[in-house]
Amino acid sequence: MANAFVAAFEILSFGAIIVLIVLGLGIIASMMGIFNFAQGEFVLLGAYITYLAYAKGLPIWAGMVAAPFVVGALGFVLEALIIRRFYAAPIVAMLGTYALGLIIRETVRGLIGGFYLTVPEPIGGSIDIGAMHISAWRFTIIVITLLVMVCCYLLLSRTNFGLRMRATLENPSLARASGISTPLMYGATFAFGSALAGLAGALIVPVFSLYADLGLRFLIQGFVAVMVGGVGSFIGPVAGAGVIGTLSAALPWVMAPVVADVLVFVLAIVFIKFRPQGLIAGRGV
Amino acid sequence: MPKSMGAVKQAIPAEIGGEADVAMGGSGTAGQAASGRKVLPIVEGVVLVAALLAPLVLQDYLTVFATRVIILALFALSFDLVWGYAGIMSFGQALFFGSAGYGVALLARDLDITNIFLVLPAGTLIGLTFALLLGGFLLLGRHPSSVIFVSLGTLTGSYAADRLARGWYYLGGQNGIPSISSMTLGSYEFSEGPSFYYLVLGILIVVYLLCRFLVRSQFGLALAGLRENEQRIAFFGYKAQHLKAIIFAIGGAVAGLAGSLYAFHEGFVWPNMVGVVVSTQVVLYVLFGGSGTLIGAVIGAVIVEGVSFWLSDNYREVWPIILGVLLLLVILFRPLGLISFVLGERERVGSFGARPKETEKEKRNAAP
Repeated sequence: MANAFVAAFEILSFGAIIVLIVLGLGIIASMMGIFNFAQGEFVLLGAYITYLAYAKGLPIWAGMVAAPFVVGALGFVLEALIIRRFYAAPIVAMLGTYALGLIIRETVRGLIGGFYLTVPEPIGGSIDIGAMHISAWRFTIIVITLLVMVCCYLLLSRTNFGLRMRATLENPSLARASGISTPLMYGATFAFGSALAGLAGALIVPVFSLYADLGLRFLIQGFVAVMVGGVGSFIGPVAGAGVIGTLSAALPWVMAPVVADVLVFVLAIVFIKFRPQGLIAGRGV
Repeated sequence: MPKSMGAVKQAIPAEIGGEADVAMGGSGTAGQAASGRKVLPIVEGVVLVAALLAPLVLQDYLTVFATRVIILALFALSFDLVWGYAGIMSFGQALFFGSAGYGVALLARDLDITNIFLVLPAGTLIGLTFALLLGGFLLLGRHPSSVIFVSLGTLTGSYAADRLARGWYYLGGQNGIPSISSMTLGSYEFSEGPSFYYLVLGILIVVYLLCRFLVRSQFGLALAGLRENEQRIAFFGYKAQHLKAIIFAIGGAVAGLAGSLYAFHEGFVWPNMVGVVVSTQVVLYVLFGGSGTLIGAVIGAVIVEGVSFWLSDNYREVWPIILGVLLLLVILFRPLGLISFVLGERERVGSFGARPKETEKEKRNAAP
């Protein structure tokens, strides 16, 4: 019983991490039609900023709060300078963002060297329920993920900003005619997606520690999750991330980890092949 | 947000044209100077002479390095066939390269087979088989697959293979398979050095000529059409998906050949060889050199590897950053690669073999 509970918690917390990482990826892919290969490096940057704050003696919380804003600002600048040129050609966009990611990753690698740098958890210790102990920080990640999901949903579906964003993406010329600045909205969407990646990086760095390939590790999983969930809505990629995250965490409990690892990808690709629209095909938020 | 699946789907037929437009934009100023003389044969000739003379002027350890570059050029050729000529973004080309490498390494380790006439065909066959399986699955089917799906599917395949190789004890796990014995011809052993170099160069030349024949044939014309506008080619009655699967399989075979040579030349195989790193490496070669020209792929491999070898002593940490910046610049401002500085658009597209009678009408329709 206790083991099953711990297993369930592990699976849930890993699923939450994947959801957190995929949120930004999914928003950019769904709304802008761009599969951002640099997203993993945005995650890495978020983690790096948190580490910097810790290394400079600032509270870790400060780094975690700063990370999304810094990475979001960087995303805004990159969109204006580079990403903007790629909207017509998704494959070129992949290659271009890959190059961007390479630059960021290797720069960070140069800064931190080939090391694994640990950042302590801002909330240490464990929560004890009877005989069971679960990590307090992982629990916090689950809670924050839920909060962020709800906030994103509300932002996109209930606010004026969300409405303008959706209008821009559904019909740019009509949006322009209605007085919405579409370049600004594209920039804002990309910045928003980047900021989410930065936040994800900041939150997961105590769990995975900081190393240059941190983002790469999640990138392909993220892409697969977006495709499984279905490009085009907010909910789709989140659902996909839930499925992929849960599967990748759950399967190693019942079979050899190597087989499980590969099996998740194979299952996902087969699923996408026969259901290209993904789990949730609907439009809207 | 509601710009969802529909919009993505609509974008797919358009995007091939879109890329072509982007591509055209960059090449306007390029060569093809007033005389109208062909540049391509000159470039090919220069590269060939340089390659033939290289071992005579290079020191021994540089010849070994040059051999590796030639093998990687062969690998780049396979990606160029798939991306440059058919417009299939294969982000997992290393899967065929590496699996062939692993295949021949296992042949050498477990069955003691190192005869060149057995291992090279075996490697080619492994690459071909894997490419047929993966390509057939990703590309064929009732509904044409989106380019995004194909590129992410190949990427995922390569990543999954990497993870499998890392975790599978039989394949050596993280360490791969070390100390593969030399490739043999009768009692002669190909060891690193000039003999291996000329062997690899000879293979490259043969494969290059075959590819050149292929892309200049009617099949190549259909592929070029596929790259520029897949929908139109489908409307002409070509089985676009079959064409894609065929060229994907051929690309896989060439990658397999390169992979088996690489395994014997380096003497070991390791999980990176099937993974994402090598897959993206080959994309870099071709983008740098110039996709859609076979010689561009070769030049790209030589330049990227050469410069990284040259810089790696003093600037090991900075080099990947420079590489990324250069790649970004090439994608933004020179989408046809370095070769577009000397090669005009018209010559890049080139002309194709004799028209077969039965398709005369379609070609007339396609002309305007």
